[in-house]
Amino acid sequence: MATYSLANERLRALEDIEREIGAILQNAGTVILELSKEKTNERLLDRQAAAFTASVQHVEAELSAQIRYLTQVATGQPHEGSSYSSRKDCQMALKRVDYARLKLSDVARICEQLLEN
Amino acid sequence: MAQQRALPQSKETLLQSYNKRLKDDVKSIMDNFTEIIKTAKIEDETQVSRATQGEQDNYEMHVRAANIVRAGESLMKLVSDLKQFLILNDFPSVNEAIDQRNQQLRALQEECDRKLIALRDEISIDLYELEEEYYSSSSSLCEANDLPLCEAYWRLDLDTDSADGLSALVLASPEPSAGPLQAAAPAHSHAGGPGAGPTEHA
Repeated sequence: MATYSLANERLRALEDIEREIGAILQNAGTVILELSKEKTNERLLDRQAAAFTASVQHVEAELSAQIRYLTQVATGQPHEGSSYSSRKDCQMALKRVDYARLKLSDVARICEQLLEN
Repeated sequence: MAQQRALPQSKETLLQSYNKRLKDDVKSIMDNFTEIIKTAKIEDETQVSRATQGEQDNYEMHVRAANIVRAGESLMKLVSDLKQFLILNDFPSVNEAIDQRNQQLRALQEECDRKLIALRDEISIDLYELEEEYYSSSSSLCEANDLPLCEAYWRLDLDTDSADGLSALVLASPEPSAGPLQAAAPAHSHAGGPGAGPTEHA
């Protein structure tokens, strides 16, 4: 959702980091598996080992950046903002609409009764 | 812009602990992986028999692999803690999320009210005709002296506009049934018509 981009961008970045950690373990397992074979595919080995190292460094850099950002923006205070007032106003507007609909249905029913009579 | 504010001790300690956990886990993964690769090297000369050395290497690799997995799990926990910290303490994004939510709700409320006002304007016109029909029909239960609602609204309108001649004409109207017909001309000439009357007093 574009409207929540700033709020969710960092969370999405953290989710990508989680996936990358899974990929790191996967790469490590592939390298060790490849080493265990009698005939090792050296190219695959090198590629996987390079991917492993790059992923680890990338994860470290990203998490350090996130922690640095949090050090800058975090305060000790709880956030006391809320959207309660506008939510209440919207709720009342919806109640007004429901009430108007109810009254209209009453009028329609009365008109139909009169027409039948 | 990137000024270091004086954080409370607990927050400062918490963020430092996050840093430490990150460094330790990454170091653990790299070291254990490197050691596994080194252990995989087959050496010709061993101090113990080859079978014993093989068993030892096997056990060592298991332990190091478990260490790598443990460090990976610890990193996942760290990411989860960072997400939680971000949601609670990243004030710029929390403020923006609240502002956007307020805007959405306000827009919805204005839309509802706008539609209700348009509905009110339409219905007041139909209501006028319905009242005319009702009060001029035999099913009306009101007395001869009672004014129909539409006529009552006209009077209020005329009073507020202070039209002397028209009000005198309306007041002189003998029967309630003839009232709406007689006052139809001044009502229609009045800006907005009787539909505006109920709406103004709604």
